[in-house]
Amino acid sequence: MSRAIAAPSTSEGPLAVLARFLRSDGFARLASYLFLVVLWQLVSLYEDRFPGPAETFGFLWIEVTGGAHGGVVRGQFLEPFAATLPRFALGIAISMALGVVTGVVIGGSRLAEALLKDTLLVLVALPAIIWAFLTQMWLGLGDDAVVITTFLSAFPFVAVNVVQGIQAIPRDLRRMSGAFHVPLYRRLRHMQIPAVTGYLFAGFRFAVIIGWNAVLLAEWFSASEGVGWRSRYWYDANRYKGFVGWVILFIAFIVLLDRLVLVRLQRRAFRWRDAQLSATERQAEEIDVGITGA
Amino acid sequence: MSSTTVERGPRGSAHLSIAGRRRVRGVAGLLIGVGGLLLVWTLLSEFVFGEFLLPPPLEIGQIMWEIVRSGAFIEHFVPTILRLGYGFALALLIGFPVGYLMGTSRWWRAFFHDMVMVAGSIPGITYAVMALVILGISIFGPVISVGLVAMPYVAINVAEGLDSVDRRLVQMSDAFRRQRSSVVRHVLIPSVAPFAFAGVRLSFALAWKVEQLTEVFGGSSGVGFQIRREFEDFSIPGMLAWVLLFIVFMILLERFVLARLERYLFRWRLEDKA
Repeated sequence: MSRAIAAPSTSEGPLAVLARFLRSDGFARLASYLFLVVLWQLVSLYEDRFPGPAETFGFLWIEVTGGAHGGVVRGQFLEPFAATLPRFALGIAISMALGVVTGVVIGGSRLAEALLKDTLLVLVALPAIIWAFLTQMWLGLGDDAVVITTFLSAFPFVAVNVVQGIQAIPRDLRRMSGAFHVPLYRRLRHMQIPAVTGYLFAGFRFAVIIGWNAVLLAEWFSASEGVGWRSRYWYDANRYKGFVGWVILFIAFIVLLDRLVLVRLQRRAFRWRDAQLSATERQAEEIDVGITGA
Repeated sequence: MSSTTVERGPRGSAHLSIAGRRRVRGVAGLLIGVGGLLLVWTLLSEFVFGEFLLPPPLEIGQIMWEIVRSGAFIEHFVPTILRLGYGFALALLIGFPVGYLMGTSRWWRAFFHDMVMVAGSIPGITYAVMALVILGISIFGPVISVGLVAMPYVAINVAEGLDSVDRRLVQMSDAFRRQRSSVVRHVLIPSVAPFAFAGVRLSFALAWKVEQLTEVFGGSSGVGFQIRREFEDFSIPGMLAWVLLFIVFMILLERFVLARLERYLFRWRLEDKA
């Protein structure tokens, strides 16, 4: 289809080319971004505390280039990310490790499932803000509270996905490998690992998205540096353009990470399963962040 | 209950039917599960954290009972649930047309594609604080947040529902020269409505978390506001009591009301498969 646009036939007039451009997918996307910017501008006109796009991007430029914000305060861009990313990575790493262990235990044993499944569901249902509040009361301000909030919010989602993966192995396959005395190593290699990998990637993706929200919340309440702290800093200073600017930065960060890395990984890991899905079904699958929580 | 699950066996003795046995097993599993949760919690409170940092379940239970008995439960749950309801109404109101456009036109599909994709990964704190900045402390914050969180799920499911509409029915309606409006009313809406509802159900867990967060930041009533107050009083038991009440309520709502509604709406599909 893109080839059809790239090589218009010579007999067409400029109007026809324009019409085709207006009808193309590329223009539709462009139009959607224009629509959002106009909407943003309108909201800022309605509520003058809320900065418009021009103001916000002007501020972001100062912040990113490290210029002066009209005083002694200088722009910071890399420092907050440098403070946040190690906490985030550590939190996600712990939640992956603990989530896999919990998931294997619950998925593998009937008794463990009966005992722990409801605990897991309650953990999935707990909003990250509760962990942010609790860790602040337990541990005070600092790195520990942030890392622990991240991992406590994210790990139940990993565990739920691993459980689903293990339970998705067809019972016939399990029974057959038992009947034919397939050795444990080959059972792991050819049955369990391929079945769980896709779910593990899905769990990883949820952990990253949910963990990012948690790390921001925890930093908002109990940190003195980092992305969440920086946005709160501007919020407390009543400089809402600073706050909105940082919101744009942290949304851009997670969206780029999700779209460019995680969704591709997930699609690859599930390609054995989803080959026949239509485009819409696939899209529905990819926005389902809440589904495992339900 | 016994009259529905106990059936006469071949020799006249009472046997539990398969469905009955399954139900008994389900209840037993639930009891063991809740027992397990309380056990884990008590052990943690006793040996790991201490009673001050993690109060034992009994203490939380008493506070929960106190909240229910004093009427504070009703006073703060009603606004929260109402806002959740308004938010989902808003999501359906916007999600239906958006999903319709996405499902029927290629151009509009490309137009909304990025917005729908991005919406799921926006951190909840964004909605909460943005609502506070733009709207101040008001009831619209939670409603609009819930609407924005749930809308993409509704839209994408409506689009998926349109994909699944029986083409032969539409063709037949065309052949018999039915009006466009009656095709929409009798063919499209009945087959799409359950999908829209599935979108509500999928986004439910996400939406109420964002609503809580919005209430924590900019509410003047509701469960989130109560949680914030307990936090400011530095009261761990009070906070946990409110949270647990809310979670229990939400899980019950999810399991019993939404799941049943969904089964009801999808009943034509189940018959189709049988």
